[in-house]
Amino acid sequence: MSRIRSRLNTDSSEYRENYLASQRRVAEFREKQEAARHLRPPRDVERLHRQGKMLPRERLERLLDPGTPFLELSSLAGNMAYDGEAPGASCITGIGMVSGREVIIHADDSSIKGGAWYPLTVKKIVRCLDIAIENRLPVIHLCDSAGGFLPLQSELFPDKHMAGRMFRNQAILSKLGVKQLALVFGHCTAGGAYIPALSDYAVIVRGTGAVFLAGPPLVKAATGEVVSVDDLGGCDLHTQVSGTCDYPADSEAHAIAIGREIVAQWQHPPRWALGRSAIEEPCYPADELYGIIPDDIKRGFDMREVIARLVDGSRFHEYQPAYGTSLVCGYANLWGWRVGILANNGVLFNDSALKGAHFIELCNQNSTPLVFLQNITGYMVGREYEARGITKDGAKMIMAQSCSVVPKFTVMCHGSFGAGNYGMCGRAYDARLLFAWPNHQIGVMGGEQAARTLAEVKMRQLERTGQPPDQGIIDAVYHETLKAYQEQLSAYYSTSNLWDDGILDPVDTRNALGIVISASLNAPLEAPGYGVFRF
Amino acid sequence: MSFFLDLEGARVPIDILARRPVLRCRVDGIDYAVEELPGADEGACILRVNGQDFPLWRVVEGGRVHLKLAGRTFSVRLEDPLEGAGGGNGSHELRAEMPGVVVALRCEAGAPVAAGDGLIVIESMKMQITLAAPRAGVVATVHVTLNETFQKGALLVALHPEEAS
Amino acid sequence: MAITHILIANRGEIACRIQRTARRLGLQTTAVYHFADRAAPHVLAADHAIELQAEIPTAAYLDVAQLIAAARATGADAIHPGYGFLAENAGFAAAVEAAGLCFIGPQAEIIALMGDKLRAREFAARHGVPVAPSCTQTGDLETFLREAADVGFPLLIKAAAGGGGKGMSIVREPGELAERALTAAAEAQRYFADGRVYAERYIEQPRHIEVQILGDSHGEVIHLYERECSVQRRFQKVLEESPAPRLDGALRDQICNAAVTLARAAGYRNAGTVEFILAPDGCFYFLEMNTRLQVEHPVTEFVTGRDLVEAQIRIANGERLGWAQSGIRIEGHAIECRICAERPEEDFRPATGTVALLREPRLPATRFESGIREGQAVTAAFDSMLAKLVCHGATREEAIARSLEALDALVLLGVETNVDYLARLLRHPAFAAGELHTGFIETHAASLVPVSLAAEARAAALLAAALTDDAFRRMVHDIPEPYASMGAWRN
Repeated sequence: MSRIRSRLNTDSSEYRENYLASQRRVAEFREKQEAARHLRPPRDVERLHRQGKMLPRERLERLLDPGTPFLELSSLAGNMAYDGEAPGASCITGIGMVSGREVIIHADDSSIKGGAWYPLTVKKIVRCLDIAIENRLPVIHLCDSAGGFLPLQSELFPDKHMAGRMFRNQAILSKLGVKQLALVFGHCTAGGAYIPALSDYAVIVRGTGAVFLAGPPLVKAATGEVVSVDDLGGCDLHTQVSGTCDYPADSEAHAIAIGREIVAQWQHPPRWALGRSAIEEPCYPADELYGIIPDDIKRGFDMREVIARLVDGSRFHEYQPAYGTSLVCGYANLWGWRVGILANNGVLFNDSALKGAHFIELCNQNSTPLVFLQNITGYMVGREYEARGITKDGAKMIMAQSCSVVPKFTVMCHGSFGAGNYGMCGRAYDARLLFAWPNHQIGVMGGEQAARTLAEVKMRQLERTGQPPDQGIIDAVYHETLKAYQEQLSAYYSTSNLWDDGILDPVDTRNALGIVISASLNAPLEAPGYGVFRF
Repeated sequence: MSFFLDLEGARVPIDILARRPVLRCRVDGIDYAVEELPGADEGACILRVNGQDFPLWRVVEGGRVHLKLAGRTFSVRLEDPLEGAGGGNGSHELRAEMPGVVVALRCEAGAPVAAGDGLIVIESMKMQITLAAPRAGVVATVHVTLNETFQKGALLVALHPEEAS
Repeated sequence: MAITHILIANRGEIACRIQRTARRLGLQTTAVYHFADRAAPHVLAADHAIELQAEIPTAAYLDVAQLIAAARATGADAIHPGYGFLAENAGFAAAVEAAGLCFIGPQAEIIALMGDKLRAREFAARHGVPVAPSCTQTGDLETFLREAADVGFPLLIKAAAGGGGKGMSIVREPGELAERALTAAAEAQRYFADGRVYAERYIEQPRHIEVQILGDSHGEVIHLYERECSVQRRFQKVLEESPAPRLDGALRDQICNAAVTLARAAGYRNAGTVEFILAPDGCFYFLEMNTRLQVEHPVTEFVTGRDLVEAQIRIANGERLGWAQSGIRIEGHAIECRICAERPEEDFRPATGTVALLREPRLPATRFESGIREGQAVTAAFDSMLAKLVCHGATREEAIARSLEALDALVLLGVETNVDYLARLLRHPAFAAGELHTGFIETHAASLVPVSLAAEARAAALLAAALTDDAFRRMVHDIPEPYASMGAWRN
């Protein structure tokens, strides 16, 4: 495979400006992430330490194998919700290594309102368990939660993908033979009690761990029974009498040590054998990505420059290099694994859509995972393209992509607008993992485009009703629309709502993809099959 | 996670930082590149630390690693992350796990006992079982007498609660 | 009747040492052992081995009746007692002879004479061998205290019947005398069932010089020069060497001649050692006579080129030794390191464990004498000495250098030993300068502690230890890619 010869001029003023702008954006992202991870009222931290508890990230660091990576997911979930009351959506999820086994971890964050579950907490845990199911990843639950955040119960309890889905997913995981371990550090109340109960193994810490359907206050209200936390659902009750938990632990550190030993007993699951070459670092430094990303959502860039900074040896076998050139397709190795890459180099035309659909079918037949690098403003519009069947060609690409059986991974490298998001494996299309860069924007259309469209609509409306075209009213519509879009299009808004699995510093993309490809190989591969293509 | 070692009474943490291109470990807060090379003889090896070769001898014996290196002898103990934690029921009480009869009493109130000392022998379903002290301590009360029958869950022997340490 | 088969009434390195010479002379050997020693080298290497029954392991080697029965059972015609155990037990020597066996050692009555420190001292004084000013308790304690005060301070008080440092103490102030004498008397009573005590002038910074002598049954007595054994801890020798450094030739002759005078006066037969205290002013005083082969005899063997065990056997055979005094010459210098299972940092407290890894040093002019093997348990049942390392060199410096090299090459792991400490002693500038006295270890205690180790070496030791752990190894080697390459990456 030949190396991509970079055409990036790192001495240009454009490069320098892009670089500085990207650095600023990454710094802003890191600042938000740092706050979401560590900024807590000292009172809450002191309370935890007084109880002999570790902070959730201290537990995590102790649990993980030394000197191994941890890919945290959705670190900024909830960052634009609940007035910032639930940083990280009050829980931590991520993929890492414990006793040499690849696992996904869900950890309640009791440093935020006792680890209460907000609607987005539930969404994040459900997503975590969906990832576990899709990739057959064993799960370790680090339980320490006061239960559902009652004022918002209607947003976290009744619907299909709300609280009940966590336990449904746990049961499905168990049916699939995917192992689960619960380490009960604090309370598992109400629905939360089912997390250890539905795990294969449960360890509970004496003194601080407790599992019950209703805590002492609720029990008193319901039946008048007065009972202590320990007598109601403490370590000794559950490990000696009820059998709800399996192992008593004297301390959190002890519980983690027991947990590590339990995981060490798990057999390494058979993995799907994806072609593997020797690992090679890219030839170009990853931080040059900063200089590639334009500081303007409307400006395009050559995605081959991005590929050159992600893949092994910067080597790329380009498929149909001369046809449908607004979609770059080809094979590369990532951490030694063969992948097929689809990357946008402009709007999708009929030929690029057909090329994409064809390449996706090739990868499925050849058991090659797909990596989508999105920077898309949509499929080409206009009479000429409609006449050429741009919609049915886009539908072919959506059909091929939706029915893919190989693992798919999506990175939102810049804009993601309109139907291009569908064809390029947006959130609705079951990418095993989907990440976004801080500069990413997503929406039906761009902000200016929407503002212009709505201003146009307003003008027509005024004309229709015979009123004079008041430029003030029209400008107001334009600016209000633009402002609302700017907020809702931003990567922070989308990641807050879990429309992705987290924002990545662009330089972390290669590592993140390495871990998720590795994780995806735990799930068996189905035979390819499609619906009806419209020709 | 970290590993902990005990060298001459000092508890030293060891962390693995990286494995490629060479193993890197942090010992007592300082980072080292480490390579383990085979030695000439059984029990011998060479440890390359930051490029410096340390030929050494080592043997594991009695839960400790004994080493000779740079003309000095070391005895190092590796901490088991599960040690120290009782993991038992954490209580002061020895209770009957099944109904039975007391066939021998091997302790009396006030007697100091070591962990694992047989305190009482019971017979149940034609099998004799010695119940041992779950931890070191002092017997507080023996609640049964010789030939006494008891039901499942009966309190047999209680130890004095452990002093808070 | 010539000796053909020797029962060695001992264990450990000395049993192995005696076997070596016996084998070279074409003699058979019988080893005796307690069950605890059943797989010890001295048992495995002997032609015959007889188990001795005893509840306590050391008691087995002290059981006269069983030893004599063992000799009868295997047809041994001589018994070598080694050192320690029954080596200086006159009753045993007499019993062996009474059983018609040959005792390889001096006459029972000389053992008895020299075993009584007071009688030995009187004997030496009577024959013109210098003794330190002293007094012995003959009557009540009051009288003894008065007489002791007259000897002058500082005073050394010890048990009249004892040895090995038991019941010994130094009194520097008259006010301390009564209390220390009472304590010494009590200890003497406890250890030796003889409460009599004895006081002598205590020599500050004395050296311990001893002279190896050999006497045959034809009245010939010679010396094989001196050994310096001043480096001691808790009244036990740690390093011994021959010749004594910084010892004036005339003084050396005086000391050696005094030893010969004493042995000749006693009609001494076989190997023995006369111990002296040498004061900084050059005065020397008789300390005691050891009527046996010494632990440190190999240094003499190295510098004189003579096999002392062979000499013992030949003398016991009644042969004429035939070694002219003028033919005994010192060549070069030899040093012995006593390797003990102990913790020098904790006041030399004995250590126990298992000899898990043993690699003996293989160097020229080096003797590693041990009775241990890999896998052997080191318990508190026996003396803490595991082995001796004896090195010879053309000069003292060379002997020191070789000893250090040999200590470095010696691998004895699984039980704590004083090997590192011995190296520190040998490297000490005062030792190199030959500035020796029996208080050497106490005086230089502060400069004999381990020096702090280079961070890399310490890390190497810790990492090498960690790498023996299965869990650690798995964490190092069993992490799959790409995790292994990423290190502790966080996003």
